[in-house]
Amino acid sequence: MILRLPFLSLHFSQRAASVGSGLFLALLIAFVASVQLGAFPLSLQQTWSTFSGNSEGVQRMIVIEHRLPRILTAIGAGAAFGMAGSMFQTMLRNPLASPDVIGFNAGASCGALLAMALTGDFVLPGAMTGGIITAIAVSALAWNNGLHPYRLILIGIGASLTLMACADVLMTKLDALTAAEMAKWLVGTLNTRDWDDVFLVWTGLALLTPLVIWLQFPLSRICMADDIATGLGLTLSPMRMLITATAVALVALAVSVAGPLPFVAFVSGPIARRLVRGGSPAVLHSAVVGAIVTLLADIAARSVPIAQLPAGVFTAIIGAPVLMWLLLVQFRKGTL
Amino acid sequence: MTAHTASVPSEHPGTDARGRWLGASVLGLIVLSMFALRFGVRPTGWGQIWSAFTAFQPLNPEHIVIREIRLPRLIGAILAGSSLGMAGALMQGMTRNPLADPGLLGVNAGASMGVVVCILIFGMTDPADFVWIALGGGLVAALLVYLLGGGNQANPARLILAGAAVSALFLALSRSLLLVSQQTLDVYRFWVLGGFDGIEFSTILTLLPFIAFGLALAIPGSLVLNALMLGEDMARGLGVRVGLAQGLIGLAIVILCGATVSMAGPIAFVGLIVPHLARRIGGSDMRWMLFFSAGIGALLMVAADLLGRLPLFGGNMQAGVMAALIGGPVLIWLVRRNGVSKL
Repeated sequence: MILRLPFLSLHFSQRAASVGSGLFLALLIAFVASVQLGAFPLSLQQTWSTFSGNSEGVQRMIVIEHRLPRILTAIGAGAAFGMAGSMFQTMLRNPLASPDVIGFNAGASCGALLAMALTGDFVLPGAMTGGIITAIAVSALAWNNGLHPYRLILIGIGASLTLMACADVLMTKLDALTAAEMAKWLVGTLNTRDWDDVFLVWTGLALLTPLVIWLQFPLSRICMADDIATGLGLTLSPMRMLITATAVALVALAVSVAGPLPFVAFVSGPIARRLVRGGSPAVLHSAVVGAIVTLLADIAARSVPIAQLPAGVFTAIIGAPVLMWLLLVQFRKGTL
Repeated sequence: MTAHTASVPSEHPGTDARGRWLGASVLGLIVLSMFALRFGVRPTGWGQIWSAFTAFQPLNPEHIVIREIRLPRLIGAILAGSSLGMAGALMQGMTRNPLADPGLLGVNAGASMGVVVCILIFGMTDPADFVWIALGGGLVAALLVYLLGGGNQANPARLILAGAAVSALFLALSRSLLLVSQQTLDVYRFWVLGGFDGIEFSTILTLLPFIAFGLALAIPGSLVLNALMLGEDMARGLGVRVGLAQGLIGLAIVILCGATVSMAGPIAFVGLIVPHLARRIGGSDMRWMLFFSAGIGALLMVAADLLGRLPLFGGNMQAGVMAALIGGPVLIWLVRRNGVSKL
């Protein structure tokens, strides 16, 4: 299906549209379930009455003050992780790539631990500084008369592994109580989010999403061989720089509200691409998949009765089986 | 960095250069081994190392330290480093992916999961029992990855995704089990730290047949990999039975990696970094790659184990962490210096 306007024409795949609306529906269901479930369960009717504004104090407080910020933060962070992961995977033409490749998460962990060890506070500023400095350093080190994917990957691996090891060393310098607290933060948690977090992540998303939507067009060409992409009119290195910067901004946004949730950025892209098919980067679908995975992980984290487990533990438990199922089903159909 | 380094494709080092590098790494390994026997908590002299092997006195504490503690530790580090290096080279060659590490076949995650479950359900606490459990868990996970990856028609892309999914699932499951049970965590965290601390000769002797078998599979595997790296269709055209070759190489990786995990815990970094270092030195011919990966892996592991004994790192930092601290900057430096050569 092709949409023609006076100034541009767009190609719409029917499958992409139907998969997109299906994913959106799933996200909506997860959202409603997430509002209802918890230590104070609500019925569907009660949920509705809370949103339409006629309900008593406690119920209203629980939903508006506690659950909604947490849920909206989860959706925003998941979407940001999903888009960033999918962009990196397409740009580097490597299904194993995720923002970890550029060292952001390792730098953030290291920065957070360093801030904690030196000052006893400032975890978040430390993480942001560490992550962004690492990302810039890796890109700068990889820049050699242009940005080459393979060199970026290698330098990213080197920096990432070294920083992870530094984080391990720093971890041993902390006392046991702080170390346990930091370990929880490093896994990524959504406990006690408030409306400030929601505004932060959604403002960031509102600013970056238009750019991401536009980047979809170059992304669908940049995954071809260098010669072909250049022949199609892409200036490769500046475009790679722009994509990297956008993806890093998305990850920074997500980490600042949810911590370095593992696996979301990695798993969203392959799931979305396998659902949509047709070889398009499917960045926006990845965003919805990321949001669903993060939200479900948060629901799981809240429903496990034993002491507040961080949501980061569950992202892989939820995301991995879906990917495995897709691999299995599509293998049988021979469509992979 | 000047402009021309990027445009010149990586030169393939001649046999001369390779021979020199090989000699240098063997020499380095011997020197490092001497250091590893000499330095530690208890100070010993060069003469005592010599006499510990030529005129062993069973009651001399220095001799006991050298022969019963430092020697097994050194041998363990050499075996683990070279096994992981070779497994990494085979893995990256087979999947043609620079981000692939040998743990990607699920061995490390499966071994961890096996150990956690056995502590939790059977209340095991003795690290000596974990050798077989880790090996078994690793094999089960690898089998799962293989089946999910498409069985004997596996293609690298699907195998990678299957491996990453299975590993992540197993690691997350064992992590959540650990968060639930404090007692399990207490036993597990010592196993996962691993390193070469309490290694005894009996453990090494148990695992030696596995490593030898892995090596026996790896060498023919490396011969086929040269063809396989041209792409599967090309390899098929050259007369390689792709499915069989991939199966054999996969088995070699699983055995080498499984033996290391059960000896020294899950060490992820070495298998990922070492092949890149080897490729930079020896070019991309898989036969040389395998040698260099084994040599550099052993070198890195012994150096890491030695550096971990420095007081700066608390006197006993795990070798895997130290390997990453050393290997990462070296990798970055080599990539900056030599430019890019593809897999």
